[in-house]
Amino acid sequence: MPIPAERGTAVLAALVLPLAALLCLEIASRSAIVDPTFIPPPSAIIGTLGDIVATGAFARPLAQTVLLLFAGYGLGSFAAISLGILMGASRAVYNCLEPLAELLRPLPKPALLPALILFLGLGAKMEVTIVALGCFFPVLINTIQGVRAVEPTMINTARTFGHGSFAVWRRILLPASAPYILAGMRVSLGLGLILAITAEMIAGTGGLGDSILRAQRLFLVKESYAWLVILALLGLVLTGVFGFIERRLAFWSAPQVT
Amino acid sequence: MAVTAGAMPASGATTQSAGARLRVEALGKAFAGPDGAAVEAIGSVTLDVAPGEFVAVVGPSGCGKSTLLQIIAGLLLPSSGRVLLGDRDVTGEPAHMVYLFQQYSKSLLPWMTVENNVMFAFRHRMKVSQADALTRCRDYLAMVGLGDSGHHYPWQLSGGMQQRVAIARALAAEPQVLLMDEPFSSVDALTRLDLHSLILDLWTKKHFTAVLVTHDVDEAIFLADRVVVLTQRPAQLAEAVATKLSRPRHSIETREAPEFLALRHRLLDHLLTRSGRTRDANPR
Amino acid sequence: MTQSAAARTAAEIPRARSKRRRFFDSRVPGVVLLLALLCLWEASARSGLVESVNWPPFSAVVASLVAGLLDGELLPVVLSTLWRMARGYAIGCAVGVAIGAAIALSRPLRLLLQPTIELLRPVPIPAIIPPLVFLLGLDDRLRIFSIAFASFFPVALNTHAGVRAVEPIYHQVARTFGVPHLTSLRRVVFPAALPFILAGLRTSLGIAFVVTVIAEMIVGQEGLGYYLVTMQFAMRAPEMYAGILLLTCVAYLLNRAFVAWEARAIRWARLVETMQEGAR
Repeated sequence: MPIPAERGTAVLAALVLPLAALLCLEIASRSAIVDPTFIPPPSAIIGTLGDIVATGAFARPLAQTVLLLFAGYGLGSFAAISLGILMGASRAVYNCLEPLAELLRPLPKPALLPALILFLGLGAKMEVTIVALGCFFPVLINTIQGVRAVEPTMINTARTFGHGSFAVWRRILLPASAPYILAGMRVSLGLGLILAITAEMIAGTGGLGDSILRAQRLFLVKESYAWLVILALLGLVLTGVFGFIERRLAFWSAPQVT
Repeated sequence: MAVTAGAMPASGATTQSAGARLRVEALGKAFAGPDGAAVEAIGSVTLDVAPGEFVAVVGPSGCGKSTLLQIIAGLLLPSSGRVLLGDRDVTGEPAHMVYLFQQYSKSLLPWMTVENNVMFAFRHRMKVSQADALTRCRDYLAMVGLGDSGHHYPWQLSGGMQQRVAIARALAAEPQVLLMDEPFSSVDALTRLDLHSLILDLWTKKHFTAVLVTHDVDEAIFLADRVVVLTQRPAQLAEAVATKLSRPRHSIETREAPEFLALRHRLLDHLLTRSGRTRDANPR
Repeated sequence: MTQSAAARTAAEIPRARSKRRRFFDSRVPGVVLLLALLCLWEASARSGLVESVNWPPFSAVVASLVAGLLDGELLPVVLSTLWRMARGYAIGCAVGVAIGAAIALSRPLRLLLQPTIELLRPVPIPAIIPPLVFLLGLDDRLRIFSIAFASFFPVALNTHAGVRAVEPIYHQVARTFGVPHLTSLRRVVFPAALPFILAGLRTSLGIAFVVTVIAEMIVGQEGLGYYLVTMQFAMRAPEMYAGILLLTCVAYLLNRAFVAWEARAIRWARLVETMQEGAR
């Protein structure tokens, strides 16, 4: 039970490092200890960030990236959960598909970008596909583990009470494997965001990844940092929202399967 | 008072001096309970242990015997009172006392071989060559009958053997006081008798002071010079009795001696009635 | 007559069923599927069923791979990537273990550092690369820093968890024998936390590899990532696929090698776990 004084100290301690770092940077940059062309003072960066926000220049790229992420993440997760439940529940299906999955899993998904570009060009189709592919595997593996981990006694108990297969699935299998599935989806979220931004950077057709890379290429130093802040905030918000949803949905346990 | 950390004869079999007198003065311990209120585990315990004496502490379960021992060992801090070794206040410090854990198998470090486990006890204090340290280690393992198990890992050994390793390790540190926390409660009955003889054998050879916490009255009487009985929580001294049994003790004969049985009767009666339990298996 | 015939059929049916079940109990169907897909790939490419330029037959890909390895074109590329990754990975892991242990052992440090770490963790790694160009230029320093940054987090988190999870009884053992604090850290805390630390190192290995490829793709001048992008640009499909195949093999081998080493390094942990399971 943290006393108010303890909580206060904790909050203070948490802020010390970032604030001190920002302060040092500000002083160093303004007094030209470091070259302000390459390392602008944080106040200037915040100013540029304010401009980007005020002019609404962030809105379109942000929307594009978020839409891309959700589309790919949703697609990949849905496919992975469906297939994962099937593979987890049926030995036959698992044995058929597992070698294929094992072969594709170690492939670093960004490596598929060039191939996808050749097939699908530089547009949204390619981007959604790579994000979906990247999100697929962690969720698949975790779903299989989750379904497998469901105690057989739970299922048998349900059966002895006369529940049919579908009810067993819905009321026991899914909730029991939910913590695993959510753990996989958490990993996929981070990976999906990384792939979305990478794809945007390489495709150059809009989105936050494109914005930040353009700023760097045009030597717009302050803008680059400002876009970084926006991306960092996006990552933070997504992680926070996911954590909140995860806690609401699977409050009874959260095993780590990486 | 002779302190035995330091150079030692090559043979490895030392006769430690009994060392100093162990004194527990008005020791008390309170914990924060689940609802935040203070729970008094130990009320006030005063205990005087002569050098080289073997004392057993018994009491109803949950009365705080283990807590008391851990405080003496310096693993816990008391809420009140102090622990003295000789005339030095050792409250909170490990000093020359070694604690033998109840969970012996967990207390052996699994990434080290048996030999390294034993050497872990004293290597940092001994400024001698690795060869000498190894010799000492092997001597102690031989003393507990595990001379050729040095290269094994603890998890490759049976429960009884693991306990022997723990004992060897504890003694290899050549403590003045050996504190044993129900060390034989999780081995089978025959192994227990075996270990009893082993402990007495080593105690006779090495002359350390021994404090044994146990719930087994028979064990307490068989091993100790004096049996101390604690009350239920908050623990206090209920009574202290000298066993007055002749040494060396014999596994079977001593346990059949009339003095043994009389003392056993007395202590069990005390414990059963005081803790509110019935004496009879089938109350009418 | 009819009775024995019926009995024979009844006996046969379970046997036949189990034979089919035994087929699906092994990995054979999966391998068969794999081979079937490869054959499909080869056939569809050769017969011109699919758009030919971007869909070379599998045999052409393998030929390109072998040729690339033999004439020494691909080997320096792979080594360049591995060397880059190794440096970033090593730095990230070293810093990760140090800081993870530090915040586990010291409450003031934890209050100071952990919030910042948690704040930096969700930042998507490709996003830090463009701004860092201004700080570190376009050379290997930038790429290695990114790899190190990404490798840091799983290691730090796992080390933190591992050090915290050290059984209290181990600390007590060190205390009762009067083992000095530093020695106890080295001989008790670190080995006890090793299973966690190695798990973190394993996760980071995968991440380091991915980030290396990404960095080479976005701001690369050499290495496998750069090679892939170049081949894609030049529309040289067989070489590109060969590169992807090579990447997959390297990633797979790295992971297997690590897992094998990990199993040996913490042999005792698995065995202790199984022993404790048995005792329960």
